[in-house]
Amino acid sequence: MRCLRNGWWSAIWHFTASQFVVLLLLHTAALAATAPYGVDLDGHPVMLAQSAAPAIVLFFTASDCPIANRYEPELLRLERKFAPSRVEFWWVYANPEDTAAVVRQHQSQFPGSAHVILDTEQSLVHLAHATVTPEAAIFIPGNGALHEVYRGRIDDRYISLGQERPHAMHHELEDAIADVLARRAVHEPGGPPVGCSIVPLEALSQ
Amino acid sequence: MSRIRIAALALGLCIFYIAGLRLCVRASEAPVTFNRQIAPILYKNCTTCHHPGGGGPFSLLTYEEARRRGPQLVQVTASRFMPPWLPEHGYGDFADERRLTAEEIALIQKWVSSGMPRGDDPAPPPPHYNTTWTLGKPDLILTIQHPATLPASGSDIFLNFDLPYPLDQTHYIRAMEIRPGTPQVVHHANVLIDRTASWRRGHPDTWRDGVPGMELMVDAGETFDPDSHFLFWKPDTPALVEAPGMPWRLDPGNDLILNMHLKPSGKPETIAAQIGLYFTSTPPSDHPMLLQLEHDTVLDIPPGKSDFLVEDELKLPVDVDVLGVYPHAHYLGRDLQGYAILPDGEKKWLIWIRNWDIDRQSVYRYRHPVFLPKGTTIHMRYTYDNSAGNVHNPNDPPIRVRAGNRSVDEMGHLWLQVLPVNTPPNSPDPRLLLEAAWMQDRLRKVPDDTLALYNLAAVDIAEGKYPDATRIYQKVVSLNPKDARAWNGLGVALENSGDWHSALEAFKKASDADPSLTDAIYNRGKIELDHGTPSDAEQSFRAVLQQSPNDASAHSGLAQALVGEGNQAAAQSEFETALRIDPLNLDALEGLGQLALSQGQPAQAVGLLEKAVQRSPGDSVTRQQLALAYAQSGRYADAGQQLKEALRLTPGDPQVHAMLSQVVEATGDLRQAIAEQQKALLLNSSDADGWNNLGVLEARSGNAAAAREDFAHALRIAPDHAAAKANLARLNTGAKAQ
Repeated sequence: MRCLRNGWWSAIWHFTASQFVVLLLLHTAALAATAPYGVDLDGHPVMLAQSAAPAIVLFFTASDCPIANRYEPELLRLERKFAPSRVEFWWVYANPEDTAAVVRQHQSQFPGSAHVILDTEQSLVHLAHATVTPEAAIFIPGNGALHEVYRGRIDDRYISLGQERPHAMHHELEDAIADVLARRAVHEPGGPPVGCSIVPLEALSQ
Repeated sequence: MSRIRIAALALGLCIFYIAGLRLCVRASEAPVTFNRQIAPILYKNCTTCHHPGGGGPFSLLTYEEARRRGPQLVQVTASRFMPPWLPEHGYGDFADERRLTAEEIALIQKWVSSGMPRGDDPAPPPPHYNTTWTLGKPDLILTIQHPATLPASGSDIFLNFDLPYPLDQTHYIRAMEIRPGTPQVVHHANVLIDRTASWRRGHPDTWRDGVPGMELMVDAGETFDPDSHFLFWKPDTPALVEAPGMPWRLDPGNDLILNMHLKPSGKPETIAAQIGLYFTSTPPSDHPMLLQLEHDTVLDIPPGKSDFLVEDELKLPVDVDVLGVYPHAHYLGRDLQGYAILPDGEKKWLIWIRNWDIDRQSVYRYRHPVFLPKGTTIHMRYTYDNSAGNVHNPNDPPIRVRAGNRSVDEMGHLWLQVLPVNTPPNSPDPRLLLEAAWMQDRLRKVPDDTLALYNLAAVDIAEGKYPDATRIYQKVVSLNPKDARAWNGLGVALENSGDWHSALEAFKKASDADPSLTDAIYNRGKIELDHGTPSDAEQSFRAVLQQSPNDASAHSGLAQALVGEGNQAAAQSEFETALRIDPLNLDALEGLGQLALSQGQPAQAVGLLEKAVQRSPGDSVTRQQLALAYAQSGRYADAGQQLKEALRLTPGDPQVHAMLSQVVEATGDLRQAIAEQQKALLLNSSDADGWNNLGVLEARSGNAAAAREDFAHALRIAPDHAAAKANLARLNTGAKAQ
């Protein structure tokens, strides 16, 4: 049996932290302003840290994940809702199989955002500590770095695989964005993200 | 190949020893690989849905695809979310149980934690899945008329599509396959047979487009014809093949209603479902029926209540084999139990679902029929959770929930497919007893349950208990004087009891209550026709046709009325219209046959009446008419054959003996002709024509004395019988001349 370098198997652990821990600046990941974190569909680097937006929302998604697909309309709703506040939304395709051609095909079926990043090095996955799709992260750009203030599920519709509410009771990502814009403390999501595991690059290198 | 066999054997030994010795843990230190252990598990349990184009959201056919989902495989198999299987193991032995063993789950965990190796063994061949109809091209494909669009997001949607059966012949269905169009968004689908197209009539503007609703109710009509089959589809159901001897039936005028549970996918989806039907020419030899336990009237669940109990029970009046079970609740259902208490007190489990999930509901068919003797009591015991802790609760905060059709309402049904067995010879249809027990059970719960009263009346009518049916319908109309259906049923019961005057009144009341109930107007027309007022009948049938221009039976009825009024040309045209709409309309075939006979066209009559007999082989009168047409065509042997068949159907019918006498006479067998006529007169001695005919036969056979007595007998019954008088005179003249 081979040992895995990063123990990615443990990356699908479930969040069990209490629901109301108040966090601001969960991680301060100092990033060089010029470092590329992913590329767009034409292969051009996307420099998130240079953004002047008050908040950047990353939506980790995949072309072949049904739960992520089901969240497309919800994320589009949020992107439209917060457009006047200049919040940037990015659809981050994190799996190695999601090449530009695959993503273009997916975007033709699921009318997602025009803001697409292929996280070819999974640097955004690592930066955000994302584990599954769909999952969201909110970053505040500043001083050439990105500061993560929220990471986790979009809402509480899915409790686990096989446990699903008829509709969401708490729109946690939406609330978190509003908190950021109002400069309030951001709440952690009340449960783990539910969906399809992000395939680690390491898994393909065996 | 041999290596795979050895591996399988080793695995088997592990399973055998694992409970006692835990040897397996040490003995299976050999690497778990995709090719050796994982692929066979996936191919047996997962890929029926998880293949390209299948109902699952992604494929698991290849090593790469399985590795992509490795951690998820561990998660969903460990939680038993997958494969989807709700019933508790050991509480009902079901065919196609889709459940992984603990050893298989452990193998998947070990494979993933050891880096998901492919393995050096040759890969087993992946199963092949059809992308078209799995049983080949169906005999009939029904397609929903207007494809619906499922919105990209939102809660689950329940839509009902009506698919009229377009053929003009009855067919028996041995298999059915649903192709939902986009299987990934269809949780499950149910097909209901609407024998009277009632649902389509109830939704005249929307039936083509898909009508929302979780449950639906259809009008089964006046005759006893219970639902018999679970026509259920879920993503891993490729085709529904019925057991030998148990096809189901579709008649002209029936509709199929496709009830679909749809889940938004994130993008708008087109729902363009098709139903493929496979015919058999063999009618059913076994007649199962569906039974339902429920107690929806007590479903009134307070908010916050996490253990609300609903129970029902039904005592079986006959021995049955239970073939399948379909538990059903909405989002608050939690623990669903179905079991039987046998007459000796033994408890036999039918099903137990500890964690109900509407998204994974299914029909479950038993591996072997479950025998339940007469006197067994079947129990339904469902527990509901209307607390905030129930993640499926559609209401936040929880609210009071009662029974209903919407997803925020609740239901509690336990459906069983049973086959009556050990039925004593010459006893009535045992399904009538089951239906009566079921409906009595409903009445025990709700004494004024109109549906139960209707169905009980239908049972009585099927058993020929017209006074009982009359009493039930009288109760319904006293409960609701505006119930047009009940007035119409009352009319049918009264008419069959012989009280056609009251029947006519009942049909009029039905029309007063609901002028659009064409059945009542039609029935009124029939009585008017049968009781000598053809002009009234004409008006009634024309009133039906004003509302339903394509009602073939009403065109036939109108034609019969026109015949009664002497307007044969107009009658001919109406009969022909009826046949254009329904090429096998019995009244039209018979009516046109009789018109052809009266116009001296027996060959044409034969063609029409042969079709009529084909349509209704058990109808003695139709066979008599065909015999007449044969006789007029000189085909006496064929005529005799039809009359013998008619006698088999109605043994005591003097008319048939009399006709047979004439046919036999035409072949020259006077002795047999006399014998048949004597049989006819034995059955009906007041028939003056019959005595006269017998006299003619006796005279021809040379027995003048007997003939004279027969003519005199005819004249005693009908002193003015012209033929008998003339025959007697001729006989006396002949005697004098001699």
